[in-house]
Amino acid sequence: MSEAAFSTQPSRTGRRIRRAILIAFLLVVVVVLVLPLTLTQQAADANLDPTTLGIDFAINKSIVRTETTIAMFVALAAAWNLIGGLTGYAAFGNVAFFGLGAYTVGFLTDKQHLSFALALPLAPLVAAAFAGLIGVPLLRLRGHYFAIATLGTGVAVGEVIKNLDVFGGATGLFPPILRHADALFFYLMAANAGLAVVVTWLVMRSRFGYGLIAIRENEEAASVLGVNTTAYKVGAFALAAALTGLAGGIFAQWSSFIDQESVFPIQYNVQMILMAIIGGAGTLFGPVAGAIVLEWLILSLAGGGASAVYAQMGLGVLLAVTVIFVPRGVVDFFGGSSKLSLGYFRRSLRETSV
Amino acid sequence: MLELAGVTKRFGGVAALSNVSFTVAEGEILGLIGPNGAGKTTLLNCISGVYRLDGGSITFDGRRLDGLPPHQVARLGIGRTFQVVKPFASMTVRENAAVGALFGSGQAHLAPKAAFSWADEVLELVGLARKARLTVGSLTIPDRKRLEVARALATKPRLLLLDEVMAGLNPVEVDEALDMVRKVHAGGITIVLIEHVMRVVVGVCDRVIVLHMGQHLAEGTPDEVLQDRRVIEAYLGEKYAARRHG
Repeated sequence: MSEAAFSTQPSRTGRRIRRAILIAFLLVVVVVLVLPLTLTQQAADANLDPTTLGIDFAINKSIVRTETTIAMFVALAAAWNLIGGLTGYAAFGNVAFFGLGAYTVGFLTDKQHLSFALALPLAPLVAAAFAGLIGVPLLRLRGHYFAIATLGTGVAVGEVIKNLDVFGGATGLFPPILRHADALFFYLMAANAGLAVVVTWLVMRSRFGYGLIAIRENEEAASVLGVNTTAYKVGAFALAAALTGLAGGIFAQWSSFIDQESVFPIQYNVQMILMAIIGGAGTLFGPVAGAIVLEWLILSLAGGGASAVYAQMGLGVLLAVTVIFVPRGVVDFFGGSSKLSLGYFRRSLRETSV
Repeated sequence: MLELAGVTKRFGGVAALSNVSFTVAEGEILGLIGPNGAGKTTLLNCISGVYRLDGGSITFDGRRLDGLPPHQVARLGIGRTFQVVKPFASMTVRENAAVGALFGSGQAHLAPKAAFSWADEVLELVGLARKARLTVGSLTIPDRKRLEVARALATKPRLLLLDEVMAGLNPVEVDEALDMVRKVHAGGITIVLIEHVMRVVVGVCDRVIVLHMGQHLAEGTPDEVLQDRRVIEAYLGEKYAARRHG
């Protein structure tokens, strides 16, 4: 086999196709980003004119809501990817950071009467500090021991907060409602999602990123080559926690009511991992694609009683199929080295036809 | 350069190493031989910080190594390979070597670009330059052993610990590997190597230490050690001795 067969340089037509896809993708991104602004503007106008109040208004609001939720999960999945995908530590308790971020904002705005703008920056700091604290002992565990320990931590943090009266106890917290801020919340969530992707990109290109991947591939070998494995693992965990906590902080103000059940849902743990794995754990855009597709599926399928069950079953089947056939995710399926990928199919066609 | 004094390591009730003492002088190639289970790999693990000692001390240029985590030992200038190769499977050959360059001794602020060009030099030295862009999965066993050496070399060590890099190689490959070791040594790196292939030990080692059941059994030039009655009884066997003299 010649050297060229291993080349990753795309052919000229390949490059043209890639450029077309990129432009189409950017167009979609622009539409998605601008839509909430126009929709909420219409909603505000409709609000002034009582005769047009009704169905359009509700639909517009729900579109913005859907987009905001999807942006939130993009951030959660991309953040999980830092510790789960790049570092290879299957964290099952990231919802603890989401809840801590939410409770930070909830507590400061409701009980301390701080403004949302002042409270929000503290959410990622609290989450990251907590991750640093529990990361040192927990990251000594590996494999399913680590997964179970983090899962337990996620549940425990929620239970502890629920039983502390300072944080509203079982009643929860009520951040003061911000009116006509639907677009603001969408842009905050989208900015956090964008931040998560940019952070991942920077990490993957850096010394830090090579260290994390080396830890994932073989921790002992990484350490004798000079990687400070403990510091790197805790660093990745805290970075993931910060981004997750920021999403939680935004969520608290957005929903204007939080309690243990609403910000420590165990199923978020599973969902963000599913999204990252189905999209492609350890890749830059895999978790993003996974989050958009899966959350859109969940939101559109989970409308009524019976379909919610089917949606859950569908998710399970999807995960099984992904792990068996495209273990490196959908992103790998389209361009990657997997023997089941379209990219592999295209390359082998080209080789046999010459 | 490296000094071990009374090094002891126990696993439960078993003493894998008891009271082992020796020194490694700058610029030499020291062979570490002995039967399976003698404690050779355990000794490397103690030096590189993978294991904590139960007794004794290890000093490198006057600095205590025992108690330091592996990454700090690496940054002081000690590189090592693993007997069972431990490559970063999802990375290319070049990226594997670059990790060593990025994190090794005195490389704390080496930019990725510089690390990759140093990785290329190292791959040239061990004879993997043409395979730099392949992933590890497509490498043969000898190439994987070369990659272990390349990765350790990329950390710019002053002392290199090689754990059976020639096991399982055919005679031609052993010759190539010997050349590689000589080249590395010519570059000014002190080498400690564990080996079962006596041809290698006689071929490159200045001095040999024999371990047996966790204890320091004998020490000397390859010729002295291979004629030592205790070494023949414990490790080489009468047939080997007869062949050498016959």
